[in-house]
Amino acid sequence: MGQSHLIQRPSRFTSASELARAARREIITMTAAAKASHVGSALSVVDILSVLYTGGANVAPANVEDADRDIVILSKGHAASALYSVLSLQGFFPKEWLQRYCENNAPLGGHVTSKGVPGVELSTGSLGHGLPYGLGIAKSRKMSGVTGRVFVIISDGECDEGTTWESAMIANHHNLDNLIVIVDRNRIQSLTSTEETLKLEPFEDKWKAFGWETRIEDGHDYENLLNAFNKSSKPVCVIAETTKGKGVNFMENSVLWHYKSPSEEDVKNAFSQLKVIE
Amino acid sequence: MRDAFVETLLEEAKKDENIILITGDLGFGVLDKFQRELPNQFINSGVNEQAMMGMAAGIASTGKRVFVYSIGNFPTLRCLEQIRNDICLMNNSVVVVSVGAGYAYGPQGYTHHALEDIAVMRALPNLEVVVPADPLETKLVTKFLAGTKSPSYLRLGKSNEQNFNQIEVLISPGRFNELISGESGTILFVGSIGKIALNAAGELLKNGLSVSVASVPFLTSLDKEYLVRASLMGPIITIEEHSRRGGFGSAVLEFLNAEKISASLGIVAAEQRDLSQIGDQEFLRGQNSLYEKKIIEKFKALKGA
Repeated sequence: MGQSHLIQRPSRFTSASELARAARREIITMTAAAKASHVGSALSVVDILSVLYTGGANVAPANVEDADRDIVILSKGHAASALYSVLSLQGFFPKEWLQRYCENNAPLGGHVTSKGVPGVELSTGSLGHGLPYGLGIAKSRKMSGVTGRVFVIISDGECDEGTTWESAMIANHHNLDNLIVIVDRNRIQSLTSTEETLKLEPFEDKWKAFGWETRIEDGHDYENLLNAFNKSSKPVCVIAETTKGKGVNFMENSVLWHYKSPSEEDVKNAFSQLKVIE
Repeated sequence: MRDAFVETLLEEAKKDENIILITGDLGFGVLDKFQRELPNQFINSGVNEQAMMGMAAGIASTGKRVFVYSIGNFPTLRCLEQIRNDICLMNNSVVVVSVGAGYAYGPQGYTHHALEDIAVMRALPNLEVVVPADPLETKLVTKFLAGTKSPSYLRLGKSNEQNFNQIEVLISPGRFNELISGESGTILFVGSIGKIALNAAGELLKNGLSVSVASVPFLTSLDKEYLVRASLMGPIITIEEHSRRGGFGSAVLEFLNAEKISASLGIVAAEQRDLSQIGDQEFLRGQNSLYEKKIIEKFKALKGA
């Protein structure tokens, strides 16, 4: 009975908040072990992924091969650790794979790797690739009468890429109401803030002007995010207002954690801030 | 060649609804029939090669065979990384089709000349580079490509090319298509520049030198048996309407080296001395060392004749 204070980890999370909490721990652990970068980006997007993989998107290990499953593409491939953590915790592939992140001959690379990794639809890492690819799937489904939706998560820095806006035009022209873009709007890119680098504002107006329905949400509020994923008669752009490094105070809103890999002490300090589910 | 391509693709697409044709807003008067007859298998993406190529890969990922049609460097160099990551890496069933090989769009200027595409496409892994010589070969390779799933690059001439082939022959990767059989050496070519290869062979014959001439439609799957035989017979000259750097001649050189075939090889390629020079295809070929005399000189020098 002495163990009763520990919560048993379910085989699959139904709660986005619990999934995200567990995933944050994995992200920090695997990034530290691999001496990898981009922990801040992963913590920024992990809540969005957690909502998608707890019912926001119709995709689970049981239907991941089905032609009409919902497609989720993480176009900001540098946040790979977040996607891997969430997929592994939801049973798409063994948790042991996370421990081998970035190792020689490991299944999971530093940027999103799809080959042989169940649940990963597209290898990404160069920005501006996920949205054209996702809209291709959405268009093909329209042509063939396949019903599943396509979710593409892009970073706000990624909106510097021309393909983002080429795709925004194409999706609108082809009435791709089965396509939903989620922008991880943490306002920080590689060297400094997005607005200092290359102004994105008025950001929502841009998407609207391209014919998209827009929804601005707190990107760490599970319920609001889930509601934001509702269908529309237009392609939808959810601007998810996020905090880079969310959940670990010394990593929040910092360019440094785009690059730095957590030390042992950083991991200890980070864990003390995260309620850990065993 | 473009008409042969579109006509053949239309025939194949009528039989297979999974064949999709995407254009980057080009092909006026060329693609109309396809669009009219198979509107549900046709997309004009607009002028957006990068998103277009990513979209093509996404469509292909759902089980379709996607042909992406454009001119010159637009479907290759303009969207190189989409081909590399979204098609080659993901092994998606896309055929990139470029019309206007070499100087086919002559007077339109260097922006419209495709002279580095073979080198760049050939550098990509998991991409078959296909260069038919004439309308008949175009028809045959298009049928072939419609029936496979491999990521491929199809380099086409433009219009009104003559047929070197008189009958439909067997076209497949790893096989050269020999047009003339000779005894003292070989000329290998890719694309419609074969006309110059054939003329040169005629001139050499007048000098008592009979040479074989063969088209190499599958540039990334060379014909080892043929090259071994050719190397034993005499000098091999390659000719291409493309830069010398990394092109067809380079491909043959690399192959000979890798296969440890000892051969005497001469490369005839576009010299690209003045990128801004204006003129029609024939003129620009002549200005850039793509003419019969170049082949004959190189052949004779290597032959010691």
